[in-house]
Amino acid sequence: MSTFKPSAPWLLSGPAQLVFFLMLLVPLGLTFILSFNVFDHATGIKNEYTLEHYIHVLSDEYYYGIFWRTLWISLVTTALCLLIGAPQAYILSRMKSPWKSIFLLIILAPLLVSVVVRAFGWSILLGPNGLVNVTTNYIGLGTFKILYTETAIIIALVHIMMPFMVIPIWTSLQKLDPAVQDAALSLSASPLTTLRRIIFPQILPGMLSGSLIVFGLSASSFAIPGLLGGRRLKMAATIVYDEYLHELNWPLGATIAIILLVANLIIMLSYNRAIEGRYRKALG
Amino acid sequence: MSFLSLRGVTKFYDQTCVVSDFNLDVQKGEFVSLLGPSGCGKTTTLQMIAGFVEVTAGEIRLDGNDLTHAKPNTRGLGIVFQSYALFPHMTVQANVSFGLEMRRVPKRERDERVRAMLDMVHLTSFGDRFPRELSGGQRQRVALARALVIEPPVLLLDEPLSNLDAKLREEMQFELRKIQKTLGTTTIMVTHDQSEAMSISDRVVVMEAGKITQIDSPYALYEKPQTAFISTFVGKANLLKGRVVLNEAQYFVDLGPVKLPVSLEGVKTEDHVTLSLRPEKISLSQTDEGYLKGTVTQVFFLGDRWLYHLDTALGELIVAGTNIGKNDIKEGDVFGLNWPTQAMQRLQEHQVN
Repeated sequence: MSTFKPSAPWLLSGPAQLVFFLMLLVPLGLTFILSFNVFDHATGIKNEYTLEHYIHVLSDEYYYGIFWRTLWISLVTTALCLLIGAPQAYILSRMKSPWKSIFLLIILAPLLVSVVVRAFGWSILLGPNGLVNVTTNYIGLGTFKILYTETAIIIALVHIMMPFMVIPIWTSLQKLDPAVQDAALSLSASPLTTLRRIIFPQILPGMLSGSLIVFGLSASSFAIPGLLGGRRLKMAATIVYDEYLHELNWPLGATIAIILLVANLIIMLSYNRAIEGRYRKALG
Repeated sequence: MSFLSLRGVTKFYDQTCVVSDFNLDVQKGEFVSLLGPSGCGKTTTLQMIAGFVEVTAGEIRLDGNDLTHAKPNTRGLGIVFQSYALFPHMTVQANVSFGLEMRRVPKRERDERVRAMLDMVHLTSFGDRFPRELSGGQRQRVALARALVIEPPVLLLDEPLSNLDAKLREEMQFELRKIQKTLGTTTIMVTHDQSEAMSISDRVVVMEAGKITQIDSPYALYEKPQTAFISTFVGKANLLKGRVVLNEAQYFVDLGPVKLPVSLEGVKTEDHVTLSLRPEKISLSQTDEGYLKGTVTQVFFLGDRWLYHLDTALGELIVAGTNIGKNDIKEGDVFGLNWPTQAMQRLQEHQVN
């Protein structure tokens, strides 16, 4: 081992770093610069710099509405994924041998199908003449407008994000010593108390990483709000798309993208710090 | 009336019998070990007492109460797991305190008892540490403290020392026995280590293939093993197979090359018997003395004693000699082998299987 040169780690990770640099940091940097470029509807992007776009976005209630919608849809999606995914992972981990693999496969299988295909699937189900409305109509509840509402976006997002919540929680459940549960029971703890005081804190790191992934992906999701939110219901990623491809106002699109990125980072980092800090010492 | 009693306890997994007709009476304050090779059903038996494994048939009673089908969290037994199973997200203090909290012991009394228990296991200053910051021996002691602080009627130990290194294991054996004697807690320990079982138990239950083969004090177990399995599993033994013959109103065992006088009860002539002879019971003397001659083929030095392998007319025999400050026996030396006739213990012919 002593023959390693100090440069070896850099050389070994070099290719990956290069890819990262070219594919992520360079476009991000260019987007950042672009967001300060002056834009003129007649002549396009000019080689001058301004804060105009930031002022425009941050002083217009229209954009506030979109950011607020993005935030709460992502939060609700994360919360629902947690509520469904955590028990799901727990039940999964307690299943017997053949069923365990079968159900894990069922949970992961949606990842094999394109998001666009799944979004269209949901729009068939949720549409005015879709299966859901036919059913509610049949049992006398009347029809609901679900497609092109926030509800449709949330339903589809929860469905798509579920594996990203289940997998990290499942992983932390796998690391659990099964005897720990028996130990709690032997000390007169009820099964519910065992779950709450012993199991739950140990899978919290898994729930934390799951929520971060789900929140991040939801807040920047494009296909689902694009296809199930319709033309009028915008989220941050879809408005960026509109600015770029319909308005051709690239600097404004870049500005919204940067603001979305910064907001996402702030929320995720503070969430991480608030929860993980409490358990870092115990769980490493 | 015994304190803890197991009557005909049996466990089947599907069609496989893991524990069969297990009967044991444990007195209050007694330290009983379940000893056997892996897969003999000793851990399953412990788990049935703890309530983690459902009993197929039979009855478990503690202090007169039927525990057979009670939920594990209502039994109130102290358990030390092989992996220790400490709560990784809690400090040592919180780990030990958990059982008292579940019993709704008031905070002040709780702190008092946790501190006293940590003192007892010499972890007074480790209360604020987390389990992963402790060594194996310290974790073991936290697990013990956590199980004992609730003052359980019975303490169950599942291979408690098997994850420790040899020296620490020996220290912990004596420590464990000392604490158990001080508190007087009735204790059942599962182990596959015969020296561990012998050194700290009042009684040892030897199990083989789901059945009890012998229950005895460590000394009786060693001196009077019932089966060939026990005589070789607990310590070392020479097994001599022979046929009983009657010669001038005295029973002899005809081993082929030699006939040995034996004082056996309930034997008839022509019975086939197996005798167990402990290596340290054989003494080496002049070539013309003793029952038979033997040539030393191998010498092993173990510090406090030597082990010699001797080639004799009966095959290879193991002889142990105490280290009394002499080192004069070498490979190739020829000796006469002698032993008291009562040192030969007759073993049951029919093995339990």
